[in-house]
Amino acid sequence: MAVPSEQVIKYLQQSHDRIFENNRAWAEEHRKKNPEFFTKLSAGQEPDYLWIGCSDSRIPAEAITGLGPGEMFIHRNIANLVCNTDLNVMSVVNYAVRHLKVKHIVVCGHYGCGGVKAAMTPKDMGLLNPWLRNIRDVYRLHEAELDQITDEEKRYDRLVELNVVEQCRNILKTAAVQQSYAKNDFPIVHGWVFGFQDGLLKDLKINFEEMLKGIQKIYDLSAE
Amino acid sequence: MAPISFTDAIERVVAGNRVYAQQTAEQDPNFFKTLATGQAPEILWIGCADSRIPETTICNCMPGELFVHRNIANTVHGNDLNAASVVEYAVAHLKVKKVVVCGHTKCGGANAALGDADLGETLNTWLHPVRELRRKHKIELEELPDDDARSARVAELNVHQSIEVLKQHPAIKKAIHDRGLSLHGMIYDIGAGHLKLLEEAGGKKSNGLWSADH
Ligand SMILES: [Zn+2]
Ligand SMILES: [Zn+2]
Repeated sequence: MAVPSEQVIKYLQQSHDRIFENNRAWAEEHRKKNPEFFTKLSAGQEPDYLWIGCSDSRIPAEAITGLGPGEMFIHRNIANLVCNTDLNVMSVVNYAVRHLKVKHIVVCGHYGCGGVKAAMTPKDMGLLNPWLRNIRDVYRLHEAELDQITDEEKRYDRLVELNVVEQCRNILKTAAVQQSYAKNDFPIVHGWVFGFQDGLLKDLKINFEEMLKGIQKIYDLSAE
Repeated sequence: MAPISFTDAIERVVAGNRVYAQQTAEQDPNFFKTLATGQAPEILWIGCADSRIPETTICNCMPGELFVHRNIANTVHGNDLNAASVVEYAVAHLKVKKVVVCGHTKCGGANAALGDADLGETLNTWLHPVRELRRKHKIELEELPDDDARSARVAELNVHQSIEVLKQHPAIKKAIHDRGLSLHGMIYDIGAGHLKLLEEAGGKKSNGLWSADH
């Protein structure tokens, strides 16, 4: 067995300790600015948003949107997928909509997504195959449009966008969202893409009402 | 806090993002250019979806440092393809060096697991293993002074259980053996804003983060 050398252990230990030191400093700073900060958070959460984003380390949702603790409920997975057979994400959507009553659901993809690239690589990815197959399915749904884009980078970028749109559609297929919207006029679903080049979010401006109507022609679960 | 109106809520995020992009670029004009070249996070963070625990913020980390999976009650099920795919990608492809499972006090999932309220089929099914913890540790939990303490203990037990499940993941098994990947359990105390490391049974105190065989 390859045992990490003393030096490696020391290095890893330092990087780990740093997290705890950072955390203490962060907590101290907030307590100084607002002594009630943590007491208030302790009372409960009432986030307005549910964010479904990629696990990619470069997109900390709260940091890039400037939102503080308590404001955004978060699910992050490989390539921000919403699969209707996945109990993990379905539990998140269910809890956020039915229990926390979030007003907005944001599906946020990002250009240069490694998950999307991996899915388009003609290679056996082992355990990742079933998950990434969902992205291949998105490609197949939009094959004609994507095949016409000759520049490879641009084709990936477009697939990232179309993937976000499809995942928004999947959220609309849930009973939780359809029933809440019929009753309360929320949540509204948004599709966004984050760009590393400028750090900005791009709104794909999906037409929520129209998309919902389209979905409900076949996937109508609004009757309780 | 008064609810903010629909469009305001979205405008606020969009404006927040613009400020973030501008400030970041001002501090370091090459920041986004470097970010665009790729990611090499050292840590996979598995945490709760709870809005009060923005992992990168509470650890004062920079974008690029933590690969993240967050779900209801930071639970890892043996047959959950979503989390398993995140682990596979992070461990086998990005080769993270550590995996952190972070639970927290006042967790809605842990609270729900202390009672039998019907949360609907989806959540009942998801939280089943957490509720099982309550049965398994009934005597210990009953001896605790109040529900807050019980919920905090369930959160800890749940972190340990998730780590046990992770140890069976093929990529993790291999990485522990080949390159000394380590697993760490933590609890975030919402009322204090502090992270606490859970000492695993058998872990050496001298290098507390490391499992016994190092
Ligand atoms: Zn990604
Ligand atoms: Zn929680």
